[in-house]
Amino acid sequence: MTQETPTEPRDTEQAPDNGRRSGAGRLLITVYAIFAIAATARAGFQIATQFEQAPLAYLLSAFAAVVYIVATVSLASRGRTAARIAAAAIVVELLGVLVIGSLSLADPAAFPKATVWSLYGQGYVFVPLVLPILGLWWLYRHRTRA
Amino acid sequence: MTVDGWFIAALVIGVLSTVTCVGAAILKKKPNDITLLAVAAVWLFTLVYLVASIVRVATGSTIAGATWEFWAYLVTAVCIPIAGFYWAMLERSFWSNYVLGAVGVTVVVMMARMAQIWYGSGAPAAAALHGLTTIGFGA
Repeated sequence: MTQETPTEPRDTEQAPDNGRRSGAGRLLITVYAIFAIAATARAGFQIATQFEQAPLAYLLSAFAAVVYIVATVSLASRGRTAARIAAAAIVVELLGVLVIGSLSLADPAAFPKATVWSLYGQGYVFVPLVLPILGLWWLYRHRTRA
Repeated sequence: MTVDGWFIAALVIGVLSTVTCVGAAILKKKPNDITLLAVAAVWLFTLVYLVASIVRVATGSTIAGATWEFWAYLVTAVCIPIAGFYWAMLERSFWSNYVLGAVGVTVVVMMARMAQIWYGSGAPAAAALHGLTTIGFGA
């Protein structure tokens, strides 16, 4: 929880975040934010300049960028709904890196141009593979008990 | 990628900044003047690089790659230390020093990409040497 003075009105109803945005969570959100920016920049540039070369790979890049943006924003937001959205986004991210990673390994010709998730995120020192696992573990540790 | 004086400067400042912040975080220290100055140094570098790049382009240097991509990267790089500072200061625990530590390496990686765009990925080594002599020795 961030320290807010009691007189200050909350931005949302006093939704719990169970320490999701505290401590190591801040670092996790930081890394997600960096990946959101990096993936968006990469996809934006690829699509703007060389889309015809590898439309599938570039659309996947754009999809990855959207997933990272949603994960970053929902991780950084208060409340149970945000936690659910974050969990869903991170599961998609994990599936993405596993499926795209495996496909790019099995059939390199189908993925001539790299995405963030190619070869399990090798171009990004495998952070894309580790990040969703850490993210899900973090969300589980800080889940809201019903 | 072409390694010029700018990239070497970024590498030194960025890595030192990250090592300082991560070191402080390992020692469980909250963000203090030292780690904040380490991030401020990275920010100052990005500002100097921004101004210098504007001057270089205005005085006739050409960017080999996509011009708008270069400027987009540069503006983002200038914003990253500010965003890192803001995000770290919202909660001053030792974890915030890890957040500050992320700033340096991120800017170094972005500088590497900017060097690629500036010189073009396949630029000859001569450009590297030229860059080193021009900037490194202040000629």
